Amino acid sequence: MKSTAVQERDHTSASETLDRLERQFTPEADFTPNGNPVVQARGITRTYGKGDAAVPALAGVDIDITEGRLTAIMGPSGSGKSTLMHILAGLDQPTAGNVWIDGTEITHLKEKRLTQLRRDKIGFIFQSFNLLATLTADENIVLPLSLARRKADEAWRRSVIEAVGLQNRLTHRPAELSGGQQQRVAVARALITRPAVLFADEPTGNLDSRTGGEVLDLLRRSVDEFGQTIIMVTHDAGAASIADRVVFLKDGRVELDEDRMTRDHIYDTIKNLEVAR
Amino acid sequence: MTRLAFRSLASRPLRTTLTVLAILLGVAMITGTYVLTDQIDNGFANIFETSYKGTAVQVEPKSSFSSMEGDAPQTLSDDLVAKALAVPGVDKAAGVYETAGAAIVDGKPVETGGAPTLLTTDTGKPFNQSVLVAGDEIQGRNQVAIIKSFADKTGLKPGDTFTIAGPAGLEEVKVAGVFEWGESGSLGGTVVIAGRLQDVQRWGGEPGRISGISISADPGVTPKELAADVKAALPTGLSVKTGEQAAADATAETADAIGSFLTPVLLAFAGVSVFVGAFIIFNAFSITVAQRRREFAMLRALGASRRQVLTSVVVEALTLGVLASAIGIGAGLGVAKGINLLFKALGADIPTAGIALEPRTVVIAVIVGVGVTLLSALTPALRATRVPPVAALQEGATLPPTRFARFGTITALAVTALGAGSLAFGIFSDGGTNGRLLFMGLGALMLFVAIAMLAKFIVRPASRVIGWPMEKMAPISGRLARDNAGRNPSRTAATAAALMIGLAMVVFVAVFAQAMKGSFSDAISKSTRADLVAQDQSAFLTVPQATVRSLEKVPGVESAAGVAFAAVKVKGGGILTANAVDPTVWAKVWGHDWRRGGSDDLFAKLDADSVILEDGSSIAAKVKAGDTIAVTSQSGRKAKLTVLGFYRDQMAYSGMMVSLDTLKKLDVPTAAGMMLVRTDGSEGTQAAVQRALAQFPTQKVQTKTEYLDAINQQVDQILMMFYGLLAMSVVISIFGIVNTLVLSVHERTREIGMLRAIGATRRQLGQMIRYESVITAVIGGVLGTLVGIAMGYVIVTQLGGDDLMFSLPWLQLVVFLVLAVVVGVVAAVLPARRAANTRILEAIQYE
Ligand SMILES: Nc1ncnc2c1ncn2[C@@H]1O[C@H](COP(=O)(O)OP(=O)(O)OP(=O)(O)O)[C@@H](O)[C@H]1O
Ligand SMILES: [Mg+2]
Repeated sequence: MKSTAVQERDHTSASETLDRLERQFTPEADFTPNGNPVVQARGITRTYGKGDAAVPALAGVDIDITEGRLTAIMGPSGSGKSTLMHILAGLDQPTAGNVWIDGTEITHLKEKRLTQLRRDKIGFIFQSFNLLATLTADENIVLPLSLARRKADEAWRRSVIEAVGLQNRLTHRPAELSGGQQQRVAVARALITRPAVLFADEPTGNLDSRTGGEVLDLLRRSVDEFGQTIIMVTHDAGAASIADRVVFLKDGRVELDEDRMTRDHIYDTIKNLEVAR
Repeated sequence: MTRLAFRSLASRPLRTTLTVLAILLGVAMITGTYVLTDQIDNGFANIFETSYKGTAVQVEPKSSFSSMEGDAPQTLSDDLVAKALAVPGVDKAAGVYETAGAAIVDGKPVETGGAPTLLTTDTGKPFNQSVLVAGDEIQGRNQVAIIKSFADKTGLKPGDTFTIAGPAGLEEVKVAGVFEWGESGSLGGTVVIAGRLQDVQRWGGEPGRISGISISADPGVTPKELAADVKAALPTGLSVKTGEQAAADATAETADAIGSFLTPVLLAFAGVSVFVGAFIIFNAFSITVAQRRREFAMLRALGASRRQVLTSVVVEALTLGVLASAIGIGAGLGVAKGINLLFKALGADIPTAGIALEPRTVVIAVIVGVGVTLLSALTPALRATRVPPVAALQEGATLPPTRFARFGTITALAVTALGAGSLAFGIFSDGGTNGRLLFMGLGALMLFVAIAMLAKFIVRPASRVIGWPMEKMAPISGRLARDNAGRNPSRTAATAAALMIGLAMVVFVAVFAQAMKGSFSDAISKSTRADLVAQDQSAFLTVPQATVRSLEKVPGVESAAGVAFAAVKVKGGGILTANAVDPTVWAKVWGHDWRRGGSDDLFAKLDADSVILEDGSSIAAKVKAGDTIAVTSQSGRKAKLTVLGFYRDQMAYSGMMVSLDTLKKLDVPTAAGMMLVRTDGSEGTQAAVQRALAQFPTQKVQTKTEYLDAINQQVDQILMMFYGLLAMSVVISIFGIVNTLVLSVHERTREIGMLRAIGATRRQLGQMIRYESVITAVIGGVLGTLVGIAMGYVIVTQLGGDDLMFSLPWLQLVVFLVLAVVVGVVAAVLPARRAANTRILEAIQYE
């Protein structure tokens, strides 16, 4: 959990990379949503515990995630961001409500089908890089394909590796890579299966702002260049400012849902939400 | 800090259980050994107490010495009974004649599985302490009372008839009654058949002879006084004891035999189990201490001293040790029963009585259980103290090495050298057998430790080789399993080492047995000029030499020779076996491996006053041809024998070769314990010889091959028993693998969660763990096999000299390797399920 103080420091020390990113990506510019919802959620509630001790982590969330966009989910600590992401990704079951990924209702899927779904439709990026220490960068990248006993499409593999800029690090093991490089391996690993949607829970949480910026740049480009759909949970206004859409949660509800927000706008929203509390 | 220790135990219930199990089973084996041997002691004490209950004084012939092979039956003249009865103060005196025999029911000799069939005298009240449970007292000629266990086994009832095969041949008898004996009602598997004195004497072919006299006292006469009076009235050279003393002596003698053989053998196997357990405890503590690195660092940062950290780990070990010892002692009672059942299953039904948990057993069990646990946990505990406070802020779970770690390889090599030295000393020194065995055992122990320390260097390459077929079968699971096995080589090495030890012992025993079997077959095949071998392989009944000679009249038989076996005490050479033969025919059926210029011609010179010595016997090194040696028989007769020459044979006829006349001179029975028959090769001779021995139905006439097969089967039975006893250490090493895997799975929770999140199926995860387990087990299995072969090679070639030949039991080795794979698969069941059931959400949030 991060304190507000830390967030502020992150914010004020925002690096040039982020500035550059913002300059490159102007939210007002020609954005045309193609209108296909890849992920749809209706009436999601999630309650932890029972009776008096019940904690409503999500209290009725409806959300449509459109194809080829980067959606950021923000909100104060404990607002339900991670819970929502887990439910959208089929890692957790909602107490009530339904989720569709690429047209398939997933809340009632059997274990086997869910694994299949994860292989085919979903990619993950975690806060801690979660690479397998014994595999090389290259092997880590193609791990989801190996698990599915599929061969990588060579051209695609090359473009992914090129995109993450790891051409000459492929034979290194995670221990020989920097944190930023490790996370880029994780991004490549998520992209390699061309998932319908890529979930990222605080992908820059463990990185300094420069390397964090590089990873964000990468995510942004994968949306722009490959049309990848991404849902990213983040605390960082800078990170959210590269999103096509920012969803604010508070107390398990959607508090604000807006397209193309600037960093300052996001920062003010965060402050307002904190004050309103 | 103590509370922390308990918390740590409680928070990892599975690890705690598995660690407790690892040491518990060893403790249980130790407890079981003592409980069982105490029970056997009690069983015999009870039997002897019962048999001498109504006896005030017991008179027996005195044996000049007793040998391991059991004493040759000696007898007295039965007119001593009348003399004893005439002694004032004697109420009753009964002559007893006893001999070994066999029972033939429905035409077939009754198998006792090695236990004797005792033909004995019903001495009547008050001497006979058996309790009649069916039928009546013996009334007339060839009526018998039989022990209930035998009646139950054969279905014989009062009124039924069956046949007794005694030294004198066959007699038909009728069951008058069925009796029980002492506390347990039986004498283990021993068959007891009691008849009238004159009947039993006739069965034994010794009318007028008795094995002893039981005497009861008049009212008011103490056994002690009576014993003195009887001794004074009878000829000298007899053993006269009070009944109580006789019971005590007999009990002490068996207890001694058990204490010097059974107890150390069983304890050795228990020791292997404890040793394997020690490895597992060491490993379990090493892993958890590494996993709790941050916790220790945090404690240190908060001001805990090194000593406090040490205390917390040591208290944890102490608790485990105490817990394991307590449960182990309880389980030991079950193990005692288990070992007894194992013996029984292999035909050795030993009498036992009561549950005998002596204070000594408890003390030893606790000392071993707690001591071994503490000792094994010491190194990991010391490593825990070396965690610096700053580690609280670092990632990862590697421990700082101990001060000696950089000498690790050197230490391992030093231990290797020391172990090899100790082993060599044990093999080559001239000390007592026990001391030498101790050094060899110690050496083997140190070598095991050294191999376990060095094994970490081969873990990675070995994982690659063993993982190769797995990668072919399931590329990604195989690859990950292989990587995981090699990730922490010391851990994998220590886990594999536990299995290595058990398997090395198994392989060693197998190799040794193979050498025994092979060498025995080889010696027999090379030396024998006979085509048929006849022997009673279960009761060891003998055949009179006259009968053996008469076999030469059987069509197809060229020559027949009988060997009588007797134990003799050689001045300056200990107790040796004298193999007595008819020198005129012996060389026709047997060709010795002559040494020092000997030849078959020596038998022409062999007479009542000469001997041919086995070159490896204790006396052979001290004499040369032409010298004389002094021998004493069990009946106390002495003789001086001139040494004619030397042969080499540690397999079939160790000790010495003498003529039958020598035995006669020494007052020892000359009946043949084994017959060798040379035929002209014509068909049907085997059956004809068997028919000629119709009066001795327990004698089995076999071809050379059949005979060797039977011997091999006996070796195999003993082998099976050893396997059974070693199974425990293999089971313990399974727990070790389970424990390591469970802890590794726990450690890799996050990684496993991630694998699931990116699309690994449960099956793939289970497979990954299973493969890792199999890799570990196969490393242990291969190492164990190699070490076992090496140990077997050293012992067979060094101790066995040129008598034992080293060869490999290939089929069994393959079976053991398959067993190692099975061990791996079995050990993986629980950890694999745990890994497969990892909840992704919890795993990726897990810190
Ligand atoms: N396993 C759980 N058991 C009980 N309550 C939980 C559990 N997981 C989350 N919660 C509760 O649900 C609410 C939402 O949690 P969630 O982790 O989704 O918040 P978040 O927005 O991701 O917070 P953060 O920014 O700190 O990561 C919180 O009040 C939390 O305490
Ligand atoms: Mg969260």
